[in-house]
Amino acid sequence: MSKQTSVKLVLLGEAAVGKSSLVLRFVSNDFQENKEPTIGAAFLTQRCTIGTKTIKFEIWDTAGQERFANLAPLYYRNAQAALVVYDITKPASFIKARHWVKELHEQASKNIVIALVGNKYDLLVDPETGDEIEGRRSVSVEEGQALADEEGLLFFETSAKSALNVNEVFTAIGKQIPEEAAKPADQPSSSGRIDLNAPTDETGAIGNCAC
Amino acid sequence: MSATVESSRKLSTTERRPSMAERRPSMPAGRRPSVIPHLAGIEEPALPTTPDQCDVLICGTGLVESVLAAALSWQGSNVLHVDSNPYYGDTSSTLTIEQIKAWCHNVNINTAGFRGYSKALLYIPRPDQLNSRDYSIDLTPRVMFARSDLLSLLLKSRVYRYLEFQSLSSFHTFENDSFGKMSSSKEEIFTDQSLSLETKRHLMKFMKLVLESDSPKSVKELEAYKTTPFTEFIEAKYKLTPAQVNELCFTLGLSPIPNILTPEGLSRIRRYLTSFSVYGTFPVLYSKFGGPGEISQGFCRSAAVAGATYKLDSQLQSYDSKKKIATFTDGSTVKVTERLVCSPSQAPANAENVPDKQYEITRLITIVSKSCKEWFSEGESAAVVVFPPNSLPSANAFPVQVIIMGSGSGCCPNGQCIWYLSTVEKGDKARHDLETALLKLEESILRESEDGGFDVDLTDDDVVVRPDGNVSVINSVKLGKSFKEFVPKEKLTFLFKLMFTQFTSVEPFGVVNENIFKNALNQGSENSVDHEVLYSNMPSAEVSYDGIVTEAKLLYTSIVGSDDDFFDVDFEDDDEDPLAGTQNDSAIVDEDDEEFKDEMDFEL
Repeated sequence: MSKQTSVKLVLLGEAAVGKSSLVLRFVSNDFQENKEPTIGAAFLTQRCTIGTKTIKFEIWDTAGQERFANLAPLYYRNAQAALVVYDITKPASFIKARHWVKELHEQASKNIVIALVGNKYDLLVDPETGDEIEGRRSVSVEEGQALADEEGLLFFETSAKSALNVNEVFTAIGKQIPEEAAKPADQPSSSGRIDLNAPTDETGAIGNCAC
Repeated sequence: MSATVESSRKLSTTERRPSMAERRPSMPAGRRPSVIPHLAGIEEPALPTTPDQCDVLICGTGLVESVLAAALSWQGSNVLHVDSNPYYGDTSSTLTIEQIKAWCHNVNINTAGFRGYSKALLYIPRPDQLNSRDYSIDLTPRVMFARSDLLSLLLKSRVYRYLEFQSLSSFHTFENDSFGKMSSSKEEIFTDQSLSLETKRHLMKFMKLVLESDSPKSVKELEAYKTTPFTEFIEAKYKLTPAQVNELCFTLGLSPIPNILTPEGLSRIRRYLTSFSVYGTFPVLYSKFGGPGEISQGFCRSAAVAGATYKLDSQLQSYDSKKKIATFTDGSTVKVTERLVCSPSQAPANAENVPDKQYEITRLITIVSKSCKEWFSEGESAAVVVFPPNSLPSANAFPVQVIIMGSGSGCCPNGQCIWYLSTVEKGDKARHDLETALLKLEESILRESEDGGFDVDLTDDDVVVRPDGNVSVINSVKLGKSFKEFVPKEKLTFLFKLMFTQFTSVEPFGVVNENIFKNALNQGSENSVDHEVLYSNMPSAEVSYDGIVTEAKLLYTSIVGSDDDFFDVDFEDDDEDPLAGTQNDSAIVDEDDEEFKDEMDFEL
């Protein structure tokens, strides 16, 4: 069996740039082993096989808490990867992306893998020819690439709608995650973490304290 | 696929997620439809101000309020949850050094209205040597019993998946100028060479009573002791020494006051014993990177996933109970269709109806430049130390409770340690007791770390090989025997020291008695700025999380009408984490009973 590691990935970006759509495209696409995502999930999970290793992404969305820039430290805690998403038709969202990258450098762990993602490529494309229509784009590839180079980020332009580059983003992140940074999935780590769902006593009772 | 994405987007731009109640009946009886998680609010444009309207407005993101926000959101209420601070957690927040500085400033400036804290004294000798973000300091540190209502709720609500928990098994009692480690499990009682056979028998008998204290026979028997002080009860009935009584009542029971009654004492010790070995050979856990602050954030996230709106930096100015409109200090308003819940710490400046705050908790928080690993069990990073009443040179009338958090807890850098001392003593006496206890802690850690702690003459009788292969010293009294004459060669470096007094209307006992929260639910006078505001409480003196869920449920009931559907949520989640089964406690008692017999036979 291949080695499986677990990676916490957080989503960042202005509202309406398509963060959730990207994740839904990734999670619900053609990965048969995983069931449909559901309401109440603490986070969405998706397995991704890269060569001999399997990565289980735990994808945390902002749950709207980014609206007033009120993301909790808990959100960034131990995140090993982040998607900073902007809308290539909205320059303001690209400016906001710079802000999120800065925020990540301040709040998140130092060796976090960040991917800068310009989403909604489908809006640029003529559905007939498949070619990019001039004048529809507001953020150039060069601008995106320049920011990525400057900050050491992965860079992709995607379309959640057409699935363009979506899997590629996650695969690239998976490749970039250092082996030692990812913790073995479903295993208690050496740091003494307790799995609250695995009581050791035979009765297994975690009922209400009746005392 | 794209159709479902479209519909989810449409839903979120036009209206909020339908409530659980609304959604459920529409579910087809057979296979569930492909449910797309509503990634709440993500696709909505950023709002320039707070929403115009909500069902319930909650001011303050403390732990009780956060549990309430999540419970109401999952029930289907439209919740707006705000906090006057720029961070989550309010009275239960976990703060960096810089945030602590700002917090102290706010406590000490004279503001009108309710003040939950007073006289914050902060001492940082070399501020340039502390990297603010390396520290997570709890305003209200707590530990969680392995069998408790909050832990059950963390599982049921899935909030535990946002958090990381670690074990704590070292409970020390300060007695005769030294630290003793409590014989807290049956195994330890039997291997503890310092206990006489008779004492062992009494202790076992007592533990049996505690575990059976809710059986009909015991209930009848204990009826006669309902108003008997607990210490008197165990001393007389089980012939235990005062030191053992102290250990049971204050260290295992974590009683914050000296004179608790028998039923309360029994429930506190039962809490400890039934929590032991639920997850391993330890009774309590704590959340890594900060206690209540971290757990509050988890529940806030859960609430947000269920559709709650969050806004920090928003202070309530007034509430018009006739029009049901809340006004914030920035001028924005929100119509509240159901109820406004407010933490006393976030009350409007000229509030009139904040519940009385007749109880005090004084806290001393220090960061020391020692790992303090000598106090931790193998593989752990935290400990509890208790100074029972009258154990300090200051003749403390109330116990001093200490939570020790080492660097492994994620709250401070390597080689350092955070000590949280607290007492329900009042005024200057409280501060004096805490300073005295601090001195004793300092002496102890210098003594133990200087010569490795184990250079005293230990014989084979003083150590025991545990089932897991580790060797531990059981006769800790011996470790401290030369303690009185000990003069440390060095002084401990304190990197940070914070002392403050917190006020609350919650009595410092009765952790499972919901009546202690009920008096706070008042309505107030009609012309006040906070008429009909439902106030929660400032945190209690309890060092465990007990009481949090009780209070949240009471607030929930007064809004919804009953707590029948409190977190009554079917998470249509993946199969990896089946809901934890619940069984009643009697099964455990029976099993322990069997073990008792076996071991008694063996020992006798």
